[in-house]
Amino acid sequence: MARISGVDLPPNKKVEYGLTAIYGIGLHTAHKIVHTIGIDPVKKIKDLSDEDIMRIRKLIEAEYKVEGALRAEIAVDVKRLIDIGSYRGSRHKVGLPARGQRTRTNARTRKGRKKTVARKAGPGGKK
Amino acid sequence: MSRSLKKGPYIDTKLMKKISALIDSGEKKIIKTWARNSMIPPEFVGFTIAIHNGNRFIPVYITERMVGHKLGEFSPSRIFRAHSRTRKEEKKRVFEK
Repeated sequence: MARISGVDLPPNKKVEYGLTAIYGIGLHTAHKIVHTIGIDPVKKIKDLSDEDIMRIRKLIEAEYKVEGALRAEIAVDVKRLIDIGSYRGSRHKVGLPARGQRTRTNARTRKGRKKTVARKAGPGGKK
Repeated sequence: MSRSLKKGPYIDTKLMKKISALIDSGEKKIIKTWARNSMIPPEFVGFTIAIHNGNRFIPVYITERMVGHKLGEFSPSRIFRAHSRTRKEEKKRVFEK
């Protein structure tokens, strides 16, 4: 079982894709890691030697900010925006997109699942 | 797209002149401005600037952490209106914070 920075990696995936289970490592960084260490890209996680795992672990620790540390950093950044009273901070506070996207439709990632509002009854409402 | 580094930050020249004058004289006065698109340079720290939001001037005290942002970010120009919340939703929001 390969355990890197507090996350169990899925054993049946190729190394490059399995590494993306770590928060803060996407396909791009996973690709870079595999290449700098020189692992055969077809190798699955379960086929990694302990030595390889150790090297990946060291590389990630030295070069990248992942998991808890990354989450903490982002939380601090967001908190700063809120504390200084900026527009972006207020958007974070109300849970809406902060970069000027439209909110009339879409924006579901920020707003969460669709909440249907009942149609108004009587002559004022639509049929 | 972000602004070209070659040009440097955009700082409203007239506002900058007024601030420099205030720094030289050593007094602190509220300056009214319409320059919402002006970046906040370190020189502005410690001053209160009244930023126009299209309707009125919002006085904003500039702190160190605001440097690098634009003035308009601190003077909301839209009123946020939300639907009234049910009790349940209200509780959920408080919990999230």
